[in-house]
Amino acid sequence: MSEAPKHDRTHWGVYMLLLLGAALTLVPFLWLVCGAFKRNEDFFTSTFLPRGEGFLGIAWSKLTLDNFRTLLDSSGILRSMLNSVFLSSVTAVLATLVCAAAGFALAKHEFRGRRLITAIVLVAVIVPPTLLLAPGYQLLFKLDMLNSFSGLVIPALAPAFGVYLFRQAASSSVPNELIEAARIDGCGELRVFFTVAMPLLRPMAGAFMLITFLGVWNNFINPQIVLQSESKLPLAVAVSQLRGVYYQDYGLQIAGTLASVVPVLALFLLLQREFISGLTSGAVKE
Amino acid sequence: MIDAVIDSIRRWSASLGVLVIALLAIGSSIAVVAIPAKSATGVQMWTFARLHKQMYDPIIADWPAESRPQIALLSHPALERRMLQGFLTSTPTADLIECERRSVGRAFVGPLDSVGFTDMTDRLRSEGLLEQINMPSFGPWSSRGRIFGLPHDVHPVMLGYRADIVEAAGIDVSTIETWDDFVRVLGPLMSEKGPDGKPKRYLLNIWEDKEDLIELLLLQAGGGFFDEQERVRIATPTNARVISTIVTWCRGPGRIAADAADFSASGNQLKADGYVVAAFMPDWMCNVWKNEIPQLSGKIRLMPLPAWTKGGRRTSVWGGTMLGISKTAPDQERLWKIASKLYLSPELARSLYSTGDIITPVRTLWNDPIFSEPDPYFSGQRKGRDYIALAPDVPMRTSSPYNVMAKLRVQTAVISLSAHAQRVGATSVEALEPRAMELLKVAEDQVRAQIERNVFLNTSAERPARGGV
Amino acid sequence: MKRGAPKFNVAPWVLLAPFLVCFGVFFAVPLVQSVGLSMRQTFGPAHSEFVGAANYRNVLIDPLFWKAVRNTIAFTAGSVLIQLPLALLLAMLLNRPGIRGRAIFRAIFFAPVLVGVVFVAMIFGVIFEKRTGLVNQALHSMIGWDLDFPWLQMYVMPALIIASLWQYLGFNMVYFLGALQNVRKELVEASTLDGAGPWQRFRHVIVPQIRPVASFVVLLSIVGSFQIFELPYVLFNGTAGPDNRGLTVVMYLYQMGFDQGDLGYASAVGWLLAVLLMVFALFQRRLAGESKQGVRA
Repeated sequence: MSEAPKHDRTHWGVYMLLLLGAALTLVPFLWLVCGAFKRNEDFFTSTFLPRGEGFLGIAWSKLTLDNFRTLLDSSGILRSMLNSVFLSSVTAVLATLVCAAAGFALAKHEFRGRRLITAIVLVAVIVPPTLLLAPGYQLLFKLDMLNSFSGLVIPALAPAFGVYLFRQAASSSVPNELIEAARIDGCGELRVFFTVAMPLLRPMAGAFMLITFLGVWNNFINPQIVLQSESKLPLAVAVSQLRGVYYQDYGLQIAGTLASVVPVLALFLLLQREFISGLTSGAVKE
Repeated sequence: MIDAVIDSIRRWSASLGVLVIALLAIGSSIAVVAIPAKSATGVQMWTFARLHKQMYDPIIADWPAESRPQIALLSHPALERRMLQGFLTSTPTADLIECERRSVGRAFVGPLDSVGFTDMTDRLRSEGLLEQINMPSFGPWSSRGRIFGLPHDVHPVMLGYRADIVEAAGIDVSTIETWDDFVRVLGPLMSEKGPDGKPKRYLLNIWEDKEDLIELLLLQAGGGFFDEQERVRIATPTNARVISTIVTWCRGPGRIAADAADFSASGNQLKADGYVVAAFMPDWMCNVWKNEIPQLSGKIRLMPLPAWTKGGRRTSVWGGTMLGISKTAPDQERLWKIASKLYLSPELARSLYSTGDIITPVRTLWNDPIFSEPDPYFSGQRKGRDYIALAPDVPMRTSSPYNVMAKLRVQTAVISLSAHAQRVGATSVEALEPRAMELLKVAEDQVRAQIERNVFLNTSAERPARGGV
Repeated sequence: MKRGAPKFNVAPWVLLAPFLVCFGVFFAVPLVQSVGLSMRQTFGPAHSEFVGAANYRNVLIDPLFWKAVRNTIAFTAGSVLIQLPLALLLAMLLNRPGIRGRAIFRAIFFAPVLVGVVFVAMIFGVIFEKRTGLVNQALHSMIGWDLDFPWLQMYVMPALIIASLWQYLGFNMVYFLGALQNVRKELVEASTLDGAGPWQRFRHVIVPQIRPVASFVVLLSIVGSFQIFELPYVLFNGTAGPDNRGLTVVMYLYQMGFDQGDLGYASAVGWLLAVLLMVFALFQRRLAGESKQGVRA
């Protein structure tokens, strides 16, 4: 009997801590949403929504959609949104196929050079990407791939980390007997990969695709140095360029930020489980 | 086979993430192919200032379509990034580029023949424009004796002060000639203390980390970062005295300075509250105040900067813009006509002043009556005339690509000097000067090391540029 | 066709081909080239001159580089030492038996990860403003904090650490939560029956079991923190902030390579960064201890 109330109290403490953490996490989001609908002159007069006579003590009449209108009118934001979706999704799909094929080959095929390639992949995982920034840029220049989508997508198709993940997944979740059986049935090797291995790698494929999508969506430095034309810029670069030096249009910046964050948040809410299992799959070894 | 395809679609549709992203990939690929990006037609122009675009658009509105530039507004870092990228890699830039002083140096880092702007020197000379335009305005746009842009402005600096506060205290600012006078005459305004025991207001809006203002004051005093031959000259007695004075303004018992940042909501609030009495006002800053702190209308007046010594220079310079032509753009002749027509026209001169409070660099247009109009924001002062009177005295500047670096290293020196002052309790200019000199020497050595490292800056143009690795 | 047959096996090479081509051209080639490039001075990708080891010498004697290194190490230390214990604590709270709404809490804590670092910088640039910013205002009304506290002028690294704490706390928490859920219950119960207190239980039962994941998270944090760039870059409008207080190693690399156009110098910085990271990673492995099951990733 004496255990229960004590247990209850610590439970309440835990909830309080969690709620506090959740509140601190959510405040910037709330602030972001409020800021996007405020006029520039009201931006700093109140922390969240402008105070006034209206319902809940908020001056609803001072809220505006102007920031979004300006955003749509002036800065080609819709095109940037399309560019972001294109770059992220195409890179995600292609990189998943490339990495899954390579990872499967390394896990399930015997051939000369396999150990060497595996070792190279493992070393490549720890090379910091910034090391390649300058020489990669020079290479794209020589290949005449600057200011093109291919200059962003193709170099991103072969992340060593992805191959490593799929190699792990293939060796643990694709049984050799199934592969042998398919071969005995007369399947070609490509068919074995697509019809036997890929379905079994599905959880990893879904997770890796999501991670890649998110990574490309939020990548800034690569499009910043590779792309030149306004019409090709993705959201991360286009929105950062809303930040002025001599003039700050806070509402516009915040509206642009909100427009860039909402699509990935929506995608995340839709696919939460795959997302999180994907992120942790690299760490937790089977 | 078809069965296998259907079967695999059925199985994969169980994985929502894969399905959604695959659909997005297909849909967006179609859209990217189907919706071609708006391809630019006609003359393209980049600017970084909303105000500039607002001034130019009405002027070019009735120009014939084929010579009317399409003006795109880019944020400052974006313009700088894309300009440099275009110049270095031959990817497309606009035909006409408005460039701000702090970015232009980037274009001058390499060999002279690889500067991405068209060299305008000969044309300016043959058309007699060198004489018509205020000479100091060419400084920032020249490299190794060649001029690469048309100047947009002069940007002389005055001191804006709260006339309402000063007059209420019965102070007459006309007796102020030097910075010492400034501190002495306005000093009484700091006697009122707030609840925390600190003064309720300070005399001058400056802080030890404001590199633009540090440069402005160095230039006013006849110092700066480079000599006329663009050799680095930072550790000079003049510079040491100026930065020591700035530190005594910010720290210790002689403090008269406070930081009310420009272009920020919080800084504007402080200015409106009268937390700082006086602030550095280049002509363009007048417009910033009008837009961002309208409540101060009629409460501000302008006076020439107090000099460093009696009879010394009463102004300085802050900021600056040029219009350059991209060297790779087609039809240079036409672009020159458009650029000079836009920049040298009397309409623009008037619009610069009426919309942006900016004085034109074209001296022949300084007689325009618009500059004599009283300005209600500045208590009816005929500020145009005052700025024009100071324009010929604006200090010369160089365009060294290392100017930004020098400015930041000197900023570091000032911040270190301030820390030193607080540590040892030094309160007088004289006590700080030796340490200031040492710190400036460090800054100078660092900048010189970077300049000497550059193998391109001093090579002759004939030297063939070799390829990469 | 049997596996291991002496005949040359085409299939794996077909599967590997797309990877090998992309990896070879866009990873291996630039990696090798960067060695040569780091011994040249360039002005953009088109002009270049051989300068030998001068780049490395110049980087190493540039006080700005060392300032960048100090800032980066301070940020990394702040991130790892503050963020990871908090993430572990949060994960342990969430992992308590009988907690309701675990999925909702997890989603909330995780959400900031989805906000790209550029957007985080945009948000925190305004939140950290003096006087009008959310942080100073909230702290002012709660504990009388200085409204003019100069986050973005003086306390740049603490501001960056807080911003990235917001962004990555949930990310690290998810890893720890995953590890805690794999902790074998019977061991915990056994130790409770043996009379172990909460701390002993944590120290001797839980820690050994989550060590592989913890070690991976620490490594990930170090590698990620070391490459911080976008956050200060966007926060300070493409500069390093007052007195270079927001300068990091990668920003130094970016400024030299892409603002000044010297890709050679930038490559030299890149190699030095790689060496530095390697040293830290080895150091971390040492600290993480002899545990053999440490994850290789």
